[in-house]
Amino acid sequence: MALPLPPGLTPPEIAFLCEMELVTVIPRQRLEGLDLLGGNLRPLNPPHRTPLPLWLALLLKRQRRANMVPPPWLSQHSLEAILDYETEHDDVFSPPPRLPSAPSNNALAFSPPFLSSSTADAAADALPYHWLELGEMLLEAASDDFEDPDTMRKLLRGLREVRMAKLRKIVEKLDADGGVKMNGIGAMEIGEGRAFVGGVIDGLRKIAASREQQRKDRDRDEMENGFSGTADDDEMEMA
Amino acid sequence: MDIDDILAEVTADAIPQEQKDLQQLTRSWVAERVAPELLAWPEELMERVLERIRKQIELVEDQTGNMDPKTNFKLIIIQTELERFKFLVRSFLRARLKKIDQHALHYKQQHEASQTTSTPLLSPNEYQYLTAHEALLSTHYTSSFLSQFPANLQRLDDTTGGVSMVDKPDEDAAVFVRALKDVGQIFVEGTEKKFEIRRGDVYVVRWSAIRRWVELGDLELI
Repeated sequence: MALPLPPGLTPPEIAFLCEMELVTVIPRQRLEGLDLLGGNLRPLNPPHRTPLPLWLALLLKRQRRANMVPPPWLSQHSLEAILDYETEHDDVFSPPPRLPSAPSNNALAFSPPFLSSSTADAAADALPYHWLELGEMLLEAASDDFEDPDTMRKLLRGLREVRMAKLRKIVEKLDADGGVKMNGIGAMEIGEGRAFVGGVIDGLRKIAASREQQRKDRDRDEMENGFSGTADDDEMEMA
Repeated sequence: MDIDDILAEVTADAIPQEQKDLQQLTRSWVAERVAPELLAWPEELMERVLERIRKQIELVEDQTGNMDPKTNFKLIIIQTELERFKFLVRSFLRARLKKIDQHALHYKQQHEASQTTSTPLLSPNEYQYLTAHEALLSTHYTSSFLSQFPANLQRLDDTTGGVSMVDKPDEDAAVFVRALKDVGQIFVEGTEKKFEIRRGDVYVVRWSAIRRWVELGDLELI
């Protein structure tokens, strides 16, 4: 019964997550609203564009009940611009899409795959968290909704290679302490890099473990002495 | 509180509970699959989700056999979504079971310590599983070899010599996190590492250094 998998998500699981992303479809058939477990489904009225989760959009598309509207970033112009950025800056990933305004303190903060970063009105200048999976799935199931699917595939492949090279380069920055910033990284890239990056950090940590323990003990001693010192000062002042 | 806060609150209230629960269930699933340690059981969330799944199954059972093609297609959609939810719940529970199996005695102690707090570590079912499984194992060990040992070597949770026999998960393992809020300065104990995490940042960092903020919901594991 227990899950036999190591920590981390497998590629099919990452694709499963990605299928929760909202995409825009143009329905070709009417469909009444439905009460789904993840919230109500709005009725589909052709030819009104409607945002739907990707799994449902793919289901409708495969049965030719809808057409997809590719997200703005999945276009030749945008991908070329992002690819240029990626090649020019060889130590950071291109920045992720801008975040929506921050929720107030008690509200639940939404994060990918629930940010609608791939609907028809999403930002055109940034790759969302699930860019690789989403691009591949859309190109596979709905290549007829793209003007030039082969160029898209080529650009996605190029992006993937540049970014994987960066991920491999990050290894030089890794040390036993962790704390490496990786803004803009994609879900599939984390999935691929997790075992390696985590393994390197954990391995280095084990090598440095005894030195670290010494430091921890020293810090703790200093802290205790420091606290007792200030306490004495306070007492002096009180007196 | 300024106008943005008020607006954000209004929009947050407008989001239906179902959608929030899906986000939270997804987040809990990813966190449980990725974290080196078992996380607290999200009791209220699971109650709501399981209740909804139960109702949806009833609805599907009610409507199967209906030959109208339109209803039929609706049923396909409902069933597809139902299966996705069932997968999430099942994978979540199995990931927890794996951790419980691996470090049973450790989590038993932790759970007993957490029972007085508002967030117990295990669900009643999981606790029952843990104790039953543990009882079976120790009976088996005793009958097959432990009973041959001298009495002072028969314990499974010995702590003599300052070393505990109870195995613990690696709390310092590296994890990927994303900040849902500004978190501020993070210190990694035992090193000179200090850095600031802002909303939207993605970091690879030791689990022990950021566990507190994941439990608060300011950081999410990815």
